Amino acid sequence: MRRVPWIVLGLLAVGLGLGLAGLLAPYADLLPGCAFKRATGIACATCGLTRSVLALGQGHWGEALHWYPALALLAAGAPLAALWDLRRAWRGDPYPALPASRALRFGAWLLLAGIWALQVARGI
Amino acid sequence: MRVPFEASLRALVRPTGAFAEPPPSLGRALARMLALWTPLALAHAALTVREGLQAYGQLRRMGPPGWMSRLLGADPETLWELFRDLPAAPAFGRIAPWLLVGVPIALLGTWIHHAVWDHAGLWLLGGLKGRRGFKTTLVAEAEALRIAALGTLAGLLGFLPGLGAALAFPLVLLEGYLWLFRGFALAARHGCAPWRGVAATVVHAVLLGTCALGLAGLMLVLLRVGP
Repeated sequence: MRRVPWIVLGLLAVGLGLGLAGLLAPYADLLPGCAFKRATGIACATCGLTRSVLALGQGHWGEALHWYPALALLAAGAPLAALWDLRRAWRGDPYPALPASRALRFGAWLLLAGIWALQVARGI
Repeated sequence: MRVPFEASLRALVRPTGAFAEPPPSLGRALARMLALWTPLALAHAALTVREGLQAYGQLRRMGPPGWMSRLLGADPETLWELFRDLPAAPAFGRIAPWLLVGVPIALLGTWIHHAVWDHAGLWLLGGLKGRRGFKTTLVAEAEALRIAALGTLAGLLGFLPGLGAALAFPLVLLEGYLWLFRGFALAARHGCAPWRGVAATVVHAVLLGTCALGLAGLMLVLLRVGP
């Protein structure tokens, strides 16, 4: 049984969204900025994400990496994810369940905290 | 006498027992969600667009109110000049047909978005059980969002003249509760403790929402108190 490559479809939709976001880049200065940072003076976990999205939409990879390294790295890895998803769908395999490993979950939390700490340390 | 949306209201008041029935199929859950949410969201979007166009027209004609100049820290004259030079807004009739296409797509997008991030949040909190995968989350989200569509109905009250500003804060509180409410559906369908489900929606909000929700909140406040 063939399966739907949902990740590929999702990536296509995200790619379309990024393209549209790139068109809005000239108006980015009109955005009021991060409310969390305005209130606390510290970058939030997603500070820099909007600017990174806008930069990706314009194809400025270096700029996107500067504003939100995690997003740029994810975007760079997207073709690999798409290939894996196409192969999975072609072979008719279901999506594997997320691993139940506590260590992996803890690692994911650390990664998220690390991304946030990086943004705070760099003063984004 | 039968109260409209009685079952949904009961679910909102007693969320822990709201999802005790066996889960519906994914198709049925999705169809029931869209059947209730789409007309309400269409009405909400139409009213928002209509008010937005009116506010835009007023800005072009009369210039920005004093608080906006102060908020943006811009010279009022320069700001007014900027607004005067903006192009005229399209008529509501030209936008309305696009709402018929855009709103259902936005609802489906919201459903999938919530499912993806809540599922990730539930995984991070150890709330996922072995054999219950993403499909279970999709069903739970559809069930919860059908009930949470009552928030869209309540949001329509905000468009009544004179009530918008008064209801802004209660409606924000309601939105906050409805956000957490999805967690009860997640917990019931994944068979984990309710706190894990609710916390998953909080993780979702913290991961993605800190910036986006703050921005959306600020924009909403601007729209609500606008001229």
